[in-house]
Formats: sequence, structure tokens, C-alpha cells
Amino acid sequence: MIQLQGLSKIYPSKNGPVAALRSVDLTVADGEIHGIIGASGAGKSTLVRCINLLERPTGGRVLVDGEDLTRAKPARLREVRRKIGMIFQNFCLLEQRDVAGNVRFPLELAGLKRGKADERVKELLSLVGLTDKIGAYPSQLSGGQKQRVAIARALATGPRYLLCDEATSALDPATTASVLNLLKDINRTLGVTVVVVTHEMKVIEKICDTVSVIGDGTVAESGAVSEVFADPRSSAARELILPEAYRVGKAAEGEKRIRLIFDGERPTNAPIVSSLSLDLGVPVNILYADTRLIDGRTVGQMVISLPQGGDLSEKVERYLTGKEVRFREEN
Amino acid sequence: MSELAVQLFESGAFGEAIWATVYMTVLSTAIAYLFGLPLGTLLYATDRGGVMQCLWLNRVAGTLVNLVRSIPFIVVMFAFLPLARAIVGTSVGNRAMVVLLVVAATPYVARMTESSLKEVDAGVIEAAKAMGASPFRIVVKVILPEAKPSLIVGAVISTVTVIGYTAMSATIGGTGLGQIAQIFGYTRNKQDIVWLSVLFLVIVVQVFQETGMLVARLTDKRLSAGRKNKKTEKIPQNGN
Repeated sequence: MIQLQGLSKIYPSKNGPVAALRSVDLTVADGEIHGIIGASGAGKSTLVRCINLLERPTGGRVLVDGEDLTRAKPARLREVRRKIGMIFQNFCLLEQRDVAGNVRFPLELAGLKRGKADERVKELLSLVGLTDKIGAYPSQLSGGQKQRVAIARALATGPRYLLCDEATSALDPATTASVLNLLKDINRTLGVTVVVVTHEMKVIEKICDTVSVIGDGTVAESGAVSEVFADPRSSAARELILPEAYRVGKAAEGEKRIRLIFDGERPTNAPIVSSLSLDLGVPVNILYADTRLIDGRTVGQMVISLPQGGDLSEKVERYLTGKEVRFREEN
Repeated sequence: MSELAVQLFESGAFGEAIWATVYMTVLSTAIAYLFGLPLGTLLYATDRGGVMQCLWLNRVAGTLVNLVRSIPFIVVMFAFLPLARAIVGTSVGNRAMVVLLVVAATPYVARMTESSLKEVDAGVIEAAKAMGASPFRIVVKVILPEAKPSLIVGAVISTVTVIGYTAMSATIGGTGLGQIAQIFGYTRNKQDIVWLSVLFLVIVVQVFQETGMLVARLTDKRLSAGRKNKKTEKIPQNGN
């Protein structure tokens, strides 16, 4: 388990100290894929780099399997880092070593005998599907292949955790999908706990079990992906998850807006809006509607606008509650 | 061509001079690297943000390097002649010259090395850190190998600089092409001999330069990986 407690990171700058992280609390349970999403500059990269102390936090604790890494001696920290693999946006492969040499590198650090190491390299390359590239150099590989090599390298010492810092941000959509599938496979078959930092919603939707939304250096919201994405509450999460089209102008004076939430738990095949309109005789205006597939469930939202007048909204709300539709008043 | 020039050719003096130049250059550059490579690595690693940050040591080493670097070679020769005598037992001849060349070239090599190492991608170093590599391992297994092509280019540039120094050493008794140009060309006013020395020096420089760059290119896996692995390259890319 990874636990960040009261984590803060303050950089000195010319214009006084700048807080990249302020008192972040975050827990990643074993076996899950946890997404960390945020706008650029929100501090999500700093956050993930604090987990293996590539970035030393200025306050708080980093507990990995209960051990506070901020207090670990350098030698102990290096030991712990071997059970925390990491991959990067720019792959960071050794350009002067071939594929086998790159994957072997952490094994050399661990002091494995050459023969044993070579065997392990072959295993890992077959895991990531790159057996035929064993003698190739990074300069001969495509982005997706480089990231696969990086994944094989990160997994070489059999880590329990894998940190992915914008690992698919430099890849095209198809390649991104295949790398994400690989990460999910690794999580399911090897039981490696994965922490994924990204600015792309798609990445979170596709592979994450839980998500933390980072805004302004702190965790704005955290929870199961389908829950957070269906009903984002914090402004940071709403800005990220609800697309621009959603924020259609300002509501007129007296106009009532209601957001219907489809969280995939309740049936979505009932014609809610038209039956609402027919049963209550209310002319409903649909401002925005969107659904996405998360973990096999349809999650989405619809924003409707009601005309002015009396207790109309109350009636509508009662009606929706009766139909077991989740909703939230908007303004 | 002047009679003297013909004589120099026939007596094999030119051949000997070329050999002396090459010998002094190669030997002193090699020794300069023996000291300069570790010194340059130290400058790089102990600098602010370096893998073994140690600012006072960095400052001491940096000042020492700058000190020697700021003395013109001709003055280095006069200043360190006693040192040469102490080390090789004589202050004349090429053995003494080698000592002086090493003194002058080592700081230069250190700076060349430092600048080559600075080119190594910080991300790769970070990845090694994340894998639990110690600072020493990062230097030996990541930074130096990754900087190899650039280090070779640096060695070529250093070598060419040392060739220039060897010619200057003629003023205090060094041999080689510089000496021929000086005592037969300049002192006896035979301009053709000066130009012949120039020609041979240019050839020597060219040979070092071209072979060095070729080696750098051939060993750089970022560029020449295809040469060694043509087969791998021809396998069609698998989509990702």
C-alpha cells in the first residue's frame, strides 16, 4: 500500500516560495490501478515523483508498505526503489544499449548473474511482446515499442508497484490503447499495483479502478472512477471531467438547470426526459448530454433547463426522485 | 624547393619529425585523459544538481582547472619546466615536453569531458535513480557510456589542440614538425620548409580528425545502430 500523508512540496523561487503540493493525503490500495489526473501544472507529476522520492517532499510522509521513505537512509531507499518500477513520458531508455541491455540494466544493479539475467530479459520481452527486437537499439524503435521496453525494464526486478508518469502522452491513440492494455494485463496477471499520472481522461476511463483529481497542488476529489466521473463535485474535477460544451453560458434569471446523472447503477434505457415532459407537461430543454463507457458501465450526464415559473422545479425533482434518477441542481 | 628541404627529405628528418609530433601528441593526450577524464567527471558530478553534489569540492577543482587553463601554453612551459625535470629527470627533449603537454592538456580535457557529460539526458539519469542505482553506478554505467560518442569527439578536439602545443614546444627544445619549421624554416629563412611543415601538420591533423570522427560515428548507437543490426532494421515494424 502507498500512503501519502500531509505531503507538501515547496519550491523556492525569485518571487517567494511556490507550493507545488500542499498537504496531500492519498492512499493507493494494493492491486488497484490508481489514476492521478489534473490540468498541467496542477502538481500531479511532482506528486508521483514524490512516491519514490525522485522529488523530495518538503513536508509530510511517504509510506510504502508502512515504511516512511522520507526517513530512509540512501542505501535503504535504493533498495525500496527496486520494488517500485517507473516509466516516463520520454521513455528514458539508455540510447547506447540495445533492448536486451536496457532490460538487463536493473538486473545488473541488483547483482544478478549474466546467464540468469539474460533468461529473465527474454521472459520480460516476451511479456511485452518484443522478443524480435532483442538486439535492436532504441533509435530503431517506434514510440510504442520504446515504452514497452521501458515497461519490461521497470518490471525486471519484480516490483510490487509501477509508477507511470504521463507514460502514454507522447503516443498516438492506437499505440496508447495497446500500451494501456499491457498495463492492465500486468496489473491483472502479476498483481502489480499501478499508479497512472495523466492529463487524459481516456487513460483513466480505460484502465483505472480509482482516481484522484489534483487541482492547485492538492487532491480535490478521490474515489472510484465511475463515481467521480459520473458526479464530479469539486471545481477542479468538474472543469476536467465535464467538457467545455457542458458549461453552456450562464443560466438566465429564474431559469432552473438540473443535471441528470447516469452512474451505470440504475437503468439508463428508460426514456426519462420524454416521459418527464409528457407526464408533467413541462417543456424541457436539453442543454448537454454525454455518456461514456467506464469499466463496462455507461456513465454520463444530461443537463436540462426548465422554464421559469412557480414550483415547477420542485415537481420535477419529486418526479425524478420517484423514478430513481440521480440528479443535481445546477446554476 | 630549396636544397635544404631536399636534404631534410633525403635524411629522413621530415619522417622523424612527423613521428615525433605524433608520438608526443598521442602519449601526452593519453596521459592527460588518465587525469582529465576523472577530473572532468568530478567537475560534472559534484556540480549543483549533480549526482554527487559537493559544492566545495566542485569549486576547488573548478578553480584549479581555470587557473592552469588561464596560463598561455608558452608560459606553462616556462613555469612547469622544473616540474618536468623533477618527474623525468631532464628539462629538454620530448620526454620533458610530454610532461608539459600533460600539464596544459589535463584541465582542457577535464572541461571537454565535463561538457560532454552535461549532454546526457537528465531523464535517463532519473530513470536510473528510480531503479535504485547508486550515484557511483549512475556515473559508471549510465553517464559515461551514454556520453561515449561525445567523449570521443572531445578527444579528437583535445588531440588537435595538443598537436598545436607540440609545435610550440620547439621553442624550448621539443622536436617534431614545429621544430623543423622553426630552426630550418624560420631561423634560416627557408619559407618552403615552413610551408612543408604546415602541409604535414595539416595532414596529421586531418588524419586524427577524420578517423576520430569516424570512430565516434560508428560507435554511436543513436546513428549507426543500423550498421550492426541491418537485419533487425529490416523486420517490418509491428504497428506499435
